[in-house]
Amino acid sequence: MTLALLGSRRGMTVAIVLAIVGALLPWFVYPVLAIDIVAYALFAVAFDLLLGFTGLLSFGHAMFWGGAGYVATILIAKAGAPFPVAVAAALVYAALSAVVVGVIAIRRQGIYFAMITLALAQLQYFVAFQLGDWTGGENGVQVSSRGTLFGIRLDDDKVFYYAVLVVAALGVWFVVRVVRSPFGSVLGAMRENEQRAIALGFRVDRYKLVAFVLSGTLAGLAGVLFAVGNRLSGLDGVDWHTSGKVVIMTILGGIGTVFGPLVGAGVYESLDYFVSKTPIGDKTNIVMGTIFALCVLLFRRGIVGELLALRTKRAKD
Amino acid sequence: MRLYRSLPAALAIALLSGSFVAPPARAADSGPVKIAVITDMSGVYASLAGAGAVEATKMAVEDFGGKVLGRPIEVETIDHRNNGPDAAIKAREAFDGGADLALDMTNSAVALAVAAVAKEKHKIAIVTGGASSALTGANCNRYTYHYAYDTYALAHSTGSNIASASNGKTWYALVANYAFGQQMLSDFTAAIEDKGGKVQKADLYPFGPTTDFSSYLLAAKNSGAQVLGLFNAGADTVNAMKQAKQFGVDKTMKIAVGLLFLSDVDALPDVFAGSRITTSWYWNYDKQARAWADKYAKRMNGLRPTDIQASDYSAAWQWLSAVKAVGSTDADKIQQYLDGRQFNDFYARGGEWRARDHRVLHEMYVVDVLPKEQVKEPHAWFKVVQVIPPGRAFRPESQSVCKKDW
Amino acid sequence: MALGLSVIFGMLRIVNFAHGAMFMLGAFVAYYGAQLFHLPFYAALVFAPVVVGVFGLLVEVAFLRRLYGLDPLYGLLFTFALVLIIEDAMRLAAGALGSPYSAPPSLAGVTNLGFTVFPTYRLFVIGAAIAVCAVVWFVLERTPVGARIRAATEAPTLVRALGIDTQRLVSITFAVGVALAALAGVLAAPNQNVEPTMGDKIIINTFAIVVIGGLGSIGGSVITGFAIGLLQTLGAVIFPAFNDTLIFLVMIVVLLIRPSGLFGSPASAK
Repeated sequence: MTLALLGSRRGMTVAIVLAIVGALLPWFVYPVLAIDIVAYALFAVAFDLLLGFTGLLSFGHAMFWGGAGYVATILIAKAGAPFPVAVAAALVYAALSAVVVGVIAIRRQGIYFAMITLALAQLQYFVAFQLGDWTGGENGVQVSSRGTLFGIRLDDDKVFYYAVLVVAALGVWFVVRVVRSPFGSVLGAMRENEQRAIALGFRVDRYKLVAFVLSGTLAGLAGVLFAVGNRLSGLDGVDWHTSGKVVIMTILGGIGTVFGPLVGAGVYESLDYFVSKTPIGDKTNIVMGTIFALCVLLFRRGIVGELLALRTKRAKD
Repeated sequence: MRLYRSLPAALAIALLSGSFVAPPARAADSGPVKIAVITDMSGVYASLAGAGAVEATKMAVEDFGGKVLGRPIEVETIDHRNNGPDAAIKAREAFDGGADLALDMTNSAVALAVAAVAKEKHKIAIVTGGASSALTGANCNRYTYHYAYDTYALAHSTGSNIASASNGKTWYALVANYAFGQQMLSDFTAAIEDKGGKVQKADLYPFGPTTDFSSYLLAAKNSGAQVLGLFNAGADTVNAMKQAKQFGVDKTMKIAVGLLFLSDVDALPDVFAGSRITTSWYWNYDKQARAWADKYAKRMNGLRPTDIQASDYSAAWQWLSAVKAVGSTDADKIQQYLDGRQFNDFYARGGEWRARDHRVLHEMYVVDVLPKEQVKEPHAWFKVVQVIPPGRAFRPESQSVCKKDW
Repeated sequence: MALGLSVIFGMLRIVNFAHGAMFMLGAFVAYYGAQLFHLPFYAALVFAPVVVGVFGLLVEVAFLRRLYGLDPLYGLLFTFALVLIIEDAMRLAAGALGSPYSAPPSLAGVTNLGFTVFPTYRLFVIGAAIAVCAVVWFVLERTPVGARIRAATEAPTLVRALGIDTQRLVSITFAVGVALAALAGVLAAPNQNVEPTMGDKIIINTFAIVVIGGLGSIGGSVITGFAIGLLQTLGAVIFPAFNDTLIFLVMIVVLLIRPSGLFGSPASAK
């Protein structure tokens, strides 16, 4: 259903609408908040590649998001690295750590897999804490200037936002390509019935590992955009609550639909930000938690999932 | 047909839901003068600063007359939720929306983040509640002032005070192994050694809320040291104190707590009784302090102000006075006016806006936390045992690592 | 804690993320009990688990039941959402700082054990924990009810076919599991700060313990729980810098060598 959507004209329409929304966002919303929304959107899409399309729940994805964020900001702030170099280094870090984590975790399934990813993420959290000289510990790393990209100065928030938007769009497009490729079909088959896939001769573990590394690297990319966008990286980035946040966003938007996580991230971030500014701001967590609980209980397909289901149902009538 | 057109529309609406806010117009120089109080309204620092800090700031505005330079003064409350990036975004929004001063920032990570934004936007930020001495060290900047206390002051007041006495020379230090704890350890060690004392043993435990300190407390008891120094904060301090009493450590050793506030004792009086700490101000210290505390109590249902809340009033007042004197809210002019200026009010005795690194100097007080039986009225937990003059309380200029670029 | 979590997982196949929050609720019930009704500590040991157990029962009946047929993911996510809600609600009710709670005077002070003095209260906790674990083990292994619970864990359809009301067993098990967490909370209250996030750290460690011990193996969880506790205390003395990470390193090593945990059976590995 989703794949059909992606290939069709409708899919293109959706993509165009989202592109327009993305282009106009910084005029409606504070630019740095817009950057956050797009970064989280990419994070959620990357996460969904693993959860929705490969069927693996990782509870430690913050380690790529935050870890890459740290690498990039440390390089920019302490070594004066140019932006592209920092991004490249951060991506390498994300990919390598994804390989390591993947190799250890993929042997197991289901809850064990989730627990291992959580444990490894916690390890990274503590390491980040201990290496206070590099990571600034509790205070984090601050970046005063974002640098330049192809000669364009990135310090203007709106300018950086568009850079982020382009990168994120490329990331999402990449995920779409992966999902629609033969590789993606195998992932889908594995998710449906792993035994059959093995019987058919697929090296299931290898596929999972590749998916994991792709997911982790993209999550890292999103994390770099976020950290450099906010000119700040800190322990929140590698905290397990952040791992939980992206799970919520993905479910809220709809697992296994490419655009779902995007919507989920947008809705979650906006809600979180604006609720916290209202008089009931101090109850933000309860509100978000309740929404999430309702999602899990009643709207398991997420926003986009429900919309798609609605459409299919109506089309059948 | 209708449906697929509604789908993208639905998606667009979903994505934009909640996002529809027009960016605020920039306030002209004739608009209101705005103070943005960026504090923790609902988390661990809510009692220390929070609503009380906002109230204190409003009191200052009212006492000032509600207007300066013919313009009305507005106080804006921003909940930083102990989240650095979030606070930075909200600070930016506030500044772009016409805020002229960012005040409070109780939480070191938030303080550092907002200080960076203030520098970028050329607006004044006065940090009262954040502890990090990096604000006047590696992260100093032209527009940020550190008003209330910092780790150096805490260490050198409590440390020197206890180590001066003959029964306070040998120390066992329980240290949370992260930047704050390590900083406290090094600052305390310097202060203690200065008085001829010695930190016999320092155990650095991995930070992340630790709930069990038994092995360390046993080590402390067995070390034979005279003083137990707790260089941690928050839940760790509570747990360590609770367990120290369980193990009977408080009967044989003096306990020095690196960081503690009136609000902590309000919450858990039995836990902290008998410890010695440093505070930047105490409401019952003298008539002048008490007079202000009475005004505060009237507005806050009998609650007494913490030193941070008092410092917010003081800082707001001083800033408004500067605005009046300079004739504008321009941050550059105010910074030039404040640098080096000396002042006195109910909070800052012997106050000075030190030009070298924007550390604001004033008296500090070493106090004992009284057990319930000795407390004569609600919230009167402290007994001042020593007053540290401003010149000795804070890091000397010569030792400052601030790379002054103004 | 590990016992409760293990029992819940074994029976409901739900990883109860909210277990730490239940721990916290147990401590707070004890606190409010003391504040409002002068509830003595020993009474709280019974009262708090009952209150939280009932709360757990309501949650199970109202919400968790709907999620049984689905991917276990959803149970986990729902309990995760519960944590957010419960913790924040407590924060609004009690504030973030901490609420005072002390051990009863009868257990205050230290006992001389010969080689060291040790707080009397901690001896009580050790004894109580062992006693409770022993009782639960006895109920599960030696009583008819226990047998039914174990059967329902191993082969739910078969048990239902035999006419036994599994649904009721399930609800009771969840309530009991949660009550155990609350009991742990009451025991912990005099030792540490009673505040809304006090469950956060222990839940992560508890997960690790249950995973190391083997999900579904109740005996395994208990033994591993005590073993890890010992290891952490020794670790604090020998290599303090890595203490917090120790448990994760152990978990990773164990899972690599014995994928279903030390005492777990491969059947429970999904």
